[in-house]
Amino acid sequence: MTGKVMSAVEAAELIEDGDIVGVQGGPTQCAPMAIVREIIRAGRKNLHAVTLSGGIAVDWLAAAGCLSACTFAAVTMEHFGLCRAFRRRVEAGSLAVEELSETALFARLGAAARGLPFLPTRTMFGTDLLTTGNGALKVMDDPFGGPPVVACRALPLDAAILHAHRADRAGNVGIDAGPRYPTMTTMPRAARRVIVSVERIVPTAELRKAPDRTILPGFAVDAVVEAPYGAHPTSLFPVYDYDRTFMAAWVGAAADDDTARAFLDANVHAPPSHAGYLRLVGGSDRLAELEIGTAREH
Amino acid sequence: MSTEHGGEPTADYTVDELMVARIAERFENGDQTCTGIASFIPVCAIRLAQLTHAPELVWIPGGSGVDPAAPELSASTFEWPLWRDSVMYLDLYTEFWDFVANGRFFRTFCLGAAQIDAYGNTNNSVIGAFDHPRVRLAGTAGLADMSTLDKRLLYYIADHGPRSLVERVDFRSGIGYLDGHGERARSGIGGGPELVVTNLAVFDFERGSQRMRLKSVHKGVTVDRVLAATGFEPVLPASIPVTEPPTVEQVALLRTVIDPVGYRKRGVRQVGAGTEV
Repeated sequence: MTGKVMSAVEAAELIEDGDIVGVQGGPTQCAPMAIVREIIRAGRKNLHAVTLSGGIAVDWLAAAGCLSACTFAAVTMEHFGLCRAFRRRVEAGSLAVEELSETALFARLGAAARGLPFLPTRTMFGTDLLTTGNGALKVMDDPFGGPPVVACRALPLDAAILHAHRADRAGNVGIDAGPRYPTMTTMPRAARRVIVSVERIVPTAELRKAPDRTILPGFAVDAVVEAPYGAHPTSLFPVYDYDRTFMAAWVGAAADDDTARAFLDANVHAPPSHAGYLRLVGGSDRLAELEIGTAREH
Repeated sequence: MSTEHGGEPTADYTVDELMVARIAERFENGDQTCTGIASFIPVCAIRLAQLTHAPELVWIPGGSGVDPAAPELSASTFEWPLWRDSVMYLDLYTEFWDFVANGRFFRTFCLGAAQIDAYGNTNNSVIGAFDHPRVRLAGTAGLADMSTLDKRLLYYIADHGPRSLVERVDFRSGIGYLDGHGERARSGIGGGPELVVTNLAVFDFERGSQRMRLKSVHKGVTVDRVLAATGFEPVLPASIPVTEPPTVEQVALLRTVIDPVGYRKRGVRQVGAGTEV
């Protein structure tokens, strides 16, 4: 099998201006931040992000001017507040939004994954999600005579980006025991190109010891990037927690465009590499503090 | 006065504890439910129900971890301290939403909203027009799914005011009784909002019109104050009692077991004499 290991810089080159990019991750959870930073550094434009419940990854892409559209069920920093840069661009009209219910978002991705024109859901009736002029949602009669359903048009992704615990050089992706993060495998199955950052690249033999923990086969993965703490400042259970100090600093900086830009300049553009970024955000001492299982205050 | 579940009522409680107690009693033993982001009041209500009248209520925090053994509340209601010792992890797409779609399961959800209207329709999407909003909110998440299935919906509003309780929501991220008078049922959708618990009062919905009805006012809050803080005219029954207080046991569980740090107070505007609304 062809080796798929590459640098984050090379992986970001697989994403082109205008691409529809599935971005894995919750508000504080398991986002492919090392890849996101390289997309920003590469100056990608007019990307259309797709996220179930996006947080800082989407907010950074919005703040950096990479996004012209976003499809989501939610975009939020949870207890840190709204995604302020994202919000500002939507309110200014410079970032188009497609808001979907969760089953509708999964239906759109699932249809793309299965090569179907659409999949139906039976929710959203009566909501204004059906009155925004979204051409991807059409109420249709059940051909078998039941109540109407909402047809959700397939949403094929140009690329899916995600972060996981480990992969081998062929792109087989393994995770530790823990939750199946939403969209972690749905988005790759709906995507033309799949870019995965991992904490560690491991021998295939290590994956074979626990094949039930392998979530993506190598043939479906195009790029593997080794990036320890690659989800920072989001969490990766059961390895490390989200970095609340850093998150709060971003939310503060995101209050206006100038401070947001300065924050990205300092934390995304200035560090020459992922290792440099990790040193900047506190180095091994700070990262050790984030390890789950060590004494911590909530 | 003895409360519905037989416990000793207490006068020593805060409004967040009152809200949690009134929501908790609506969860049924043997049901299943879940919580999402920034959901301290629902998390506390579900835990309180489990530790009192509903030990077999199965809770899935974050929509991912089933029945955690010792959930620990932290600043996030989405993160691992709540679900790390679950009995099973569910995939949201292929498992969780399938179970929710099944009418046998997940009969009750407790949700918050930035706006709720006189018929229980809710908005977490935008203030203003969808395409050019004054405020872009977090988004519907699971609300547009849960509220349009045949489910019982319990809503909480942490900051009751004329901008959160409105005659008509700016955007329906989730539905209640639509325009009332049976429109939801005529649309083929069962269930609907059953209770709205705010930091000032408790509402239910009038049979027939399905308009929100003032059920009780919290201790120290007058009906006039509730009406002044409400952006629509709720149905006013002849008698509006003071909201039933929590029990000694409920308050003790909240303070010592479920939420010793007091996360449930976040965002809940405390009511008291002289508090401006």
